[in-house]
Amino acid sequence: MTGATISLDELERDALTEVVNIGVSRAASSLRKMVKRQVLLSVPSVEIVTQAAAASLIGQRESENLVAVKQEFEGAFSGRALLIFPETKSLELARAVMGDEATDDQVLEIESEALAETGNVILNNCLGTMANMLKQSLKMSLPEIIRGNGEHLFARTSDANKSALVLFLYINFSVQDRNIRGYIAMLMDLPSMAALKILIAGFIDRVTEDVG
Amino acid sequence: MSEVGRSDRIEDDGIELRDRLSAEFSRLKSDIRDAEQRLHLTLDAAGATGTWEWDITNKILIGDARFAALTLQDPTELARGVSTSKFFANIAAEDQKRVRLAVAGILAGAEMFSKDYRLLKGDGTMRWVHAKGRAILSENDEPLKFVGDLVDITEQKRIQEQLRIAQSAGAIGTFEHATGFGTVTVSEQFCQLLGLHPTRILPVSTVNQLVHQDDRPIIEPILPEEPKPDSNIEFRITRADTGEQRWLSRRGEYVRDLSAPGLRYIGVAYDVTASKLNEERLRRLNEGLSESVKERTRDRDRIWQNSRDMLAVTDTGGRILDANPAWTGVLNIEISDLLGKRVSELAWLDDAGLVAAGFANANLEGGAAFDSRMEHVDGTPRWVSWTASREADAIYLYGRHITVEKEQETALREAEAQLRQSQKMEAVGQLTGGIAHDFNNMLTGIMGALDIIKRRLAAGRLEGVDRFMDAATVSAQRAAGLTHRLLAFSRRQPLDRKPTDVRQLILGMRELFDRSLGEQLRLLVQPSPDCWAAMTDANQLENALLNLAINARDAMPGGGQLSIETHNLALVEGDVPGLNIQGKLDFVAIKVRDTGVGMSADVLEKVFEPFFTTKPIGQGTGLGLSMVYGFAQQSGGAVKIRSKPGQGTEIPVSAA
Amino acid sequence: MTVTIMIVDDSKLARIVAGKAIGALRPDWVRVEASNAQEALQLVSEQQIDVAVLDFNMPGQDGLELAADLRKSYPNMPIAIITANIQDEVISRARAVNATFVNKPLTEDGMSGFLEGAALRLKQARR
Repeated sequence: MTGATISLDELERDALTEVVNIGVSRAASSLRKMVKRQVLLSVPSVEIVTQAAAASLIGQRESENLVAVKQEFEGAFSGRALLIFPETKSLELARAVMGDEATDDQVLEIESEALAETGNVILNNCLGTMANMLKQSLKMSLPEIIRGNGEHLFARTSDANKSALVLFLYINFSVQDRNIRGYIAMLMDLPSMAALKILIAGFIDRVTEDVG
Repeated sequence: MSEVGRSDRIEDDGIELRDRLSAEFSRLKSDIRDAEQRLHLTLDAAGATGTWEWDITNKILIGDARFAALTLQDPTELARGVSTSKFFANIAAEDQKRVRLAVAGILAGAEMFSKDYRLLKGDGTMRWVHAKGRAILSENDEPLKFVGDLVDITEQKRIQEQLRIAQSAGAIGTFEHATGFGTVTVSEQFCQLLGLHPTRILPVSTVNQLVHQDDRPIIEPILPEEPKPDSNIEFRITRADTGEQRWLSRRGEYVRDLSAPGLRYIGVAYDVTASKLNEERLRRLNEGLSESVKERTRDRDRIWQNSRDMLAVTDTGGRILDANPAWTGVLNIEISDLLGKRVSELAWLDDAGLVAAGFANANLEGGAAFDSRMEHVDGTPRWVSWTASREADAIYLYGRHITVEKEQETALREAEAQLRQSQKMEAVGQLTGGIAHDFNNMLTGIMGALDIIKRRLAAGRLEGVDRFMDAATVSAQRAAGLTHRLLAFSRRQPLDRKPTDVRQLILGMRELFDRSLGEQLRLLVQPSPDCWAAMTDANQLENALLNLAINARDAMPGGGQLSIETHNLALVEGDVPGLNIQGKLDFVAIKVRDTGVGMSADVLEKVFEPFFTTKPIGQGTGLGLSMVYGFAQQSGGAVKIRSKPGQGTEIPVSAA
Repeated sequence: MTVTIMIVDDSKLARIVAGKAIGALRPDWVRVEASNAQEALQLVSEQQIDVAVLDFNMPGQDGLELAADLRKSYPNMPIAIITANIQDEVISRARAVNATFVNKPLTEDGMSGFLEGAALRLKQARR
């Protein structure tokens, strides 16, 4: 983990990673159904960093301009989830979900929409699953498309507290044979590390008692 | 045969059978042990993989023989199917919860299961295993089965750890890229090499982007057909964090990817900047040598042209071969008019010989330094301070124009002389008060004596007349002596250091002191009998002592004592702070002491300053002590003052 | 008699995908589209709508609120909530208004259950 103080112990971190894993698997499965191709996921990277650090982490990993579908969520924990693609890949994705029979014009026409809907499906599946795992309900906003660089994507619309801690989640995925690469990034505010720990503890108890 | 025999035989047979069975049983047990042993040995060999299948719907776990052996379970039972809790059999206590958590994830919908953990071995030690599994989902995305394999990685873990240590120590980064993927799996060290935030996965573009545009990228877009090793490639990167340019080297290998079609590139990269820099430096050094020579020549030309000091190159005869523009600046002569002329020819007439001698010296001894006047084109002289050095067949001449300085020096000396003179005059002035009184006395004495002689002669009495004539003569002589001294005093005389009998001089001044001090003061003139001679100007010494005596008198308005003593001092370097002696030197110290009002600390500070005086206006020029100071210095000695208010003053003056 | 099915989703792509799936399973049904709850209610007031397929996440009134509204006026209309938001709460709220929950991304398999059930109910209702 980078930057800020680490307040999750190893088991809690494993558990959080697992929750994310489950959510993202769901998301991958959704994407798979939409593009009808093999989707490969990376091991999720889970870090607790400052807001500013998160923005620069993304900036470092991407040098191209990015396009992202963003959804805000609030509930027991709040934050933003983004499905991010390098701009050059977004058209590929639109084509993939439209199906090969769509013409180039058709694809272009609804590229933004296709992205928004894809993002919506993926992020909702992911976040919804995670919420279920932690037995919390989240309210999701409508998806929004934003373009720009790393810093831009992660800038907060409300109070810009650069040193506020966030849970930064990063999962890479690539669609084989389609040259589509992107990732899901989630920024979860941590007003209360204690609250998160309680949720995680609940998750651990629930799942490990049924196992074995 | 008896019945007894037969039953015996049956009994014997029974025993025999039992023995036989028992022996076979032992043998079987032994065989099993051997087989187990062999199996364990096989398992301990790296790469032994056990597989499992966890039926989620029916809650049954099935595992193969190797899985059974790895987890220390009965292979037969595992083949038939056991409770799913057996998946966690013999997992190290510290790893139990982690593994359970990961399995729970699978059951809840996670796709991948990948964990390293420890299993207990038969002998009580641990082995590291890597378990990799996945969920098989129904059409409704419900997990149906959890399948995977287990492999011993104890050796690998050890090597990994060694590798990690080596990587950190040697700054080697590793990376892996599956063809067609937009991302590359990297190690922390790899990220650190590139100045990137440590992470496991990077986009290919991010990595390649740091490479210099003229160099080959780290992840090659064009792949070979078949697996093969890759050669060493060197390339430049710009570090992502500092922007610093570094040289890196990579090598790797293309291997067949087991889990996907296509090739996989496994590579290592490391920093070679240091050795590359040395290469560069060497190359540039060689290139640059010729450049720097050119540079230096240009620099020298510039110095020659721009210097305000006169530079010239002459032959050994002093004939000018080349001169810089400064000659024109100082003497207003065109360079073309200088060439071929001897420097002595350009000198002021009176100094021509001096210059010629200087050149002769330079020739003989290799170098010479002298000051001379040179003739300006307008017919007036200019002072120049020359340094000449001879090298092979030429003399290199450097001249600094010092006319102004010289004039200033002269003016200074004039001023000093005037100062000394005025000081003398002042001292004289001081004396006149008392001395006028003396003169008066002497004259009165003479006139008195003459008067008596006149009266006696007029009365025709001659007895005692010669006595009065002697007295008058003595007075007159005394007066003459005083006059002489005064005249000598006021004469302008440069400092003339000669061996001087200090004792005699002081004793000789006794009269002067008596006169200047008046009746109210007691005078003790006590030069030591063995007082050495000093190299000093007798006039100036008298002057100095007189000044001190007068000051002493003024410090004792109500009377007191003035004493003058001498001491011989043999001093070495460092004995007296402030006195600069090389080696050792003998001094005569003359101490003038009074019992007057003394001086406060802040007066003491300024006492040697010219024109500083504590006396009211009209009394004294304030130059006395500064003259004493200057004089003492010129005599190679020093003057000190010890004074305290109310306690009087002591002034030792030393002359070498 | 023709069956008219209304697809309500703010995303054109989603409407296309839903349309495709429905078209493959029930090619004879007539499909109409609305991009938000307001339009949907307008459509319903203007013409006969037999089946409704509603997205949950929409601007303005969300799919569950729209479902509740429709349920009030049309207690027997087969309604499906189609969403990627698979939270337990959403699922139970759908059940509460007697709507079927269908997960996005939509597939023919995912739709077929609902469509069959809907067809059956309509037939029964019309008898």
